[in-house]
Amino acid sequence: MDSAVHTQTELSLIEALRRGDAMAYQKAVREYSPGMLAVARFYLDHSSAEEVVQDCWVTVIDAIHKFEGRSGLKTWLHRIVANRCKNKLRASKREVATDFSEGLEPDLAERFNATGRWDLPPKLQFHDSADTLLENGALSDCLDKHLSALPETQRSALMLYEAHQHKSEEVCNILDVSASNLRVLLHRGRQKIFLMVEAFQETGEC
Amino acid sequence: MLMCRDLAVIASDYIDGELSGRQSLSVKMHLMMCRDCRTFIGNLRATTDLMKGHSSGKLNEAFLQRVDERVAEALRTKTSPNKDK
Repeated sequence: MDSAVHTQTELSLIEALRRGDAMAYQKAVREYSPGMLAVARFYLDHSSAEEVVQDCWVTVIDAIHKFEGRSGLKTWLHRIVANRCKNKLRASKREVATDFSEGLEPDLAERFNATGRWDLPPKLQFHDSADTLLENGALSDCLDKHLSALPETQRSALMLYEAHQHKSEEVCNILDVSASNLRVLLHRGRQKIFLMVEAFQETGEC
Repeated sequence: MLMCRDLAVIASDYIDGELSGRQSLSVKMHLMMCRDCRTFIGNLRATTDLMKGHSSGKLNEAFLQRVDERVAEALRTKTSPNKDK
């Protein structure tokens, strides 16, 4: 069950949304839409995902009065988006096509020899902290580019788990995947980003 | 015995603390003996930290404008529901 931990900032925002404060909506839209789009893109194509998120914001104007605060605002918004996407998929009788095959990314798998030891081990250590690495604008842009190139399902799982810091159970709930399938999505996505950062550190190129 | 390749397969589960105590112990024992895998795990962990710190998704202006317009319109309708009647 969710724990209701609301910061004072979040409580003030919720109150402002209940009052119908247009500025509060603008602020919330900018803060929460990236995560909402990450959820929607798991289920739908780009333009349908944007449409659903727009619709959800309009829904929120009434629904916020029924928000009981049992979960955080972000989780509540993500669930609204997920439910709407699922309904849309049901209506169109489509399913999310996802590759849950386990194991290693081919580019990583080929770096081991037949005995299972490293043939091409990682040469460099990522010494810098994440903050320092992200100060490198070129790396940050490269990360954007590679995140965009991930399969939607892997990207959504990574975004919700890493960037939006949902717990595993919550990501499973929002994306409607089993715990083991979430593990596969996260690991496949991370390996691709790991290989990207490694190549970037070695060559300085994206 | 856990090989480097096996460790790479379960590396994310190890980082996220999702392995059983026994599996986790065998990873730790392997890491004590294998510098390459220590580097790999360290780098994979750094990768996850990188994504945690990365602001996800730049919103395009056209999208924001559409949402703002639709929300503003819905708020106007809500505050004056009878204005067109």
